[in-house]
Amino acid sequence: MARTDVVGDIERSGRPAEVPAIEISGLTKVYGASETKAVDNVSLSVPPGTVFGFLGPNGAGKTTTIKILAGLLSATSGQVRLNGLDVARQRAAAMEQFGAVLEGSRNTYWTLSAMQNLVYFGRLQGMRTSEARSRAEELLRDLDLWDRRDEKVGGYSRGMQQKVAVAASLIADPPIVLLDEPTIGLDVEATRTVKDWIRTLSKDRGKTILLTTHQMDVVEELCDRVAVIRRGQVVTDLPTDQLLARSRQRDKYEIRIDGTGDGLVLPEGFTAVSGEETTLISGRLEDPQDLYPVVDRLREYGAVIEWMAQVQPDLEDVFLDLIREPAR
Amino acid sequence: MTSAVTAPGALGTQVKSGWRLTPRTGVSVLRAEVGKGLTTQLAHPIAHIVTLVFTATVYLGLQYVIGQGTIQHDLLPQTLVGISGYWLLQFASMVMVADLVEEKRGGTFAQTQLTPAPLWLIMTGRLITASVMGVVVAVVATLVPMLVTGTTIPLKWAALVPYSMVLINVLAFTFMLAAFALSSPMIGVLQSLLTSMVILLNGAVMPLSLFPTWLAVVARLLPTTMGVEATSKVLFKDESLGDIWSDGTLPWLIAYTVALALLGWYVFVRNHRKALRDGRLGQY
Repeated sequence: MARTDVVGDIERSGRPAEVPAIEISGLTKVYGASETKAVDNVSLSVPPGTVFGFLGPNGAGKTTTIKILAGLLSATSGQVRLNGLDVARQRAAAMEQFGAVLEGSRNTYWTLSAMQNLVYFGRLQGMRTSEARSRAEELLRDLDLWDRRDEKVGGYSRGMQQKVAVAASLIADPPIVLLDEPTIGLDVEATRTVKDWIRTLSKDRGKTILLTTHQMDVVEELCDRVAVIRRGQVVTDLPTDQLLARSRQRDKYEIRIDGTGDGLVLPEGFTAVSGEETTLISGRLEDPQDLYPVVDRLREYGAVIEWMAQVQPDLEDVFLDLIREPAR
Repeated sequence: MTSAVTAPGALGTQVKSGWRLTPRTGVSVLRAEVGKGLTTQLAHPIAHIVTLVFTATVYLGLQYVIGQGTIQHDLLPQTLVGISGYWLLQFASMVMVADLVEEKRGGTFAQTQLTPAPLWLIMTGRLITASVMGVVVAVVATLVPMLVTGTTIPLKWAALVPYSMVLINVLAFTFMLAAFALSSPMIGVLQSLLTSMVILLNGAVMPLSLFPTWLAVVARLLPTTMGVEATSKVLFKDESLGDIWSDGTLPWLIAYTVALALLGWYVFVRNHRKALRDGRLGQY
C-alpha cells in the first residue's frame, strides 16, 4: 500500500523518486488589478507514464492552470516544468515535450485536409516534410482516417475532427500529452476509440497523459491518479483507487419513495431528486445502523418506500463530495 | 531534426531535445506557415473574386463621377498606382489581421503556440503570405481596369524602388495591426476604418496634387500614400531616384517606413507580453 500523508489541505501519496513529467510548484495567478487569485499556490507532481486526471468544477482554476502549463499564460508566481524544463524560461525545449488537444477549440485548420494539418504541425515541431508525412500516415491509419486523409477537416464529423486533433497533438511523438475534454461531444464509438488510444499511449508507449474531463466514468476508467482543484487550490491529489477507497469508507444509500416528497425534511447529508410520481433520496452513512432514523423520518412523513439499496460510491460521488465540502 | 533522448537521472523519462532555431528549421517553419496561409486563403476563391470585382467597379464608378460623366483617362494611370497600393494593404490586412483574429477565435492560433517555433517566426511566415497575396492581387486588380479602359502605365525600373517601399510600408503597418490584434479583439474595426481612409486618400481616387494642402498632409500620414506619391513622380513626371531623394520624398518615405516597422515591432513585443499575462493568445 502506498504511503499517504497530508500536507496542509492537500493529500498526497505514492510519489516515485524520479524527475516528474509535469511539475507545478507554488503556482499562483492573479488576473489584472483584481485581488482574486484564479490559481492559488498550486503544486502538483505527475510521474512519467501516468494518466493524471485534473478535475474541478467550472471556474475552479483548472483552465488557468492548463493555460500556464501550455505556455499560453504567464504565472504571477511559481513554476511549471515539463520533464524538468521550465515552460517560462525554456519555452522551445519545454514545448517539445508536449502535445495538446484543447477543449472548446478547433485545434486544427478546417480549410486544410487531415494530412495537410498533420504535416503543418509536424513542421512547426521541426520535422522534415517526409518525416512528418510518414508519421502522419501512421497516425491516420491507426485512427482509421487514412482513406479520407485528403478531405478538408471542416467536412468531417465531430468525432473525426477530434481524432485529427489527437493525431496533430501526437505528430512529433511528444512524451507528455494534455487532453482537455477529449471525449466531449463524441458518440459512443468515437469515445471508445479515444479512450483506447489514451490507454495505449500510456501503457504501451509510456506517455504521460494529463486528462481533464467532467465525465467521471472516463476518469475512473483511465486515470492512475486524480487531483481536484477548487477555488484555485488543489484539495486532493491521490491515486484513483485510494480516492475511491477513502470514499467507500462511507456507504451510499438510495431510497425511492412514492410521491414528490413535498414538505419532507431530509436528514443531514441526504438529498432528494423528485420525479413525476416518485422521489429518489440518497445520502452517505458511516454506520449502517444510522439508516434506521432515516427510515423512521420517512415513516413519520407517511412516505411509502418502494425500494431501498446500498450503492457503491463512484468517482462522481467522490468529486461532488470534494467540491461541496465547505472551504477550509 | 528532432530526437528522443533520455535525460540523465530521469528514470524512464523520455525527454525530447532537438529543436534549435537554425536556418533549416527556420525556413521549414516559414515554408509551412506560408503553405498553410496560401492554402487557407485560396480555399474560398469566390469571396476574393467578388471583393475584387466589387471594388474595381466602385473604383471605375468613382472615376466616372469625378470626371462628371466621363472617365478622365489622364487621371487613370496615377490613380491606378494608388489603387494597387490599396489592394496590397487590403489583402495583406486580410492575412495579417482578419485571419489572425479568426484563428484566435477558432483556437488554431493557440495550437501553433504549443510548438517550439517562436511566435515572431510564425508571424514572419504570415508576412510572407501577406506579401504574396497582396502583390498577386494588386497586379491583377490593376491590370484588369487597365485593360478595360485601355490605359497604359510606362514601365520604369527605377519606380520599383519607391514601389517596393509601398510593400514594406504595408507589411510594417499590417504587422503593427496584427500586434494589436494579439491582445485586442476589436482591431477589426480600426482595420476597416483605416483601409477605407486609404482608398479615399492615398491617391487611388485622385492624385495627391489635386488635394488641398492640409488634406495632403493628413493623407501622407496614412500607409501607402507617400510610396504611391514617390512612385508616381518617377513614372509620370520623369523624375529620377536622385530627384525624389533630393526633394525629400524618398527620405521621408524611408523614415516613415522604418518608423512604422519599429513601432510595429515594439507593439508586437509589448502586446505579446500583455497577451501572455492576460491569457489572450486564444479563446481557450
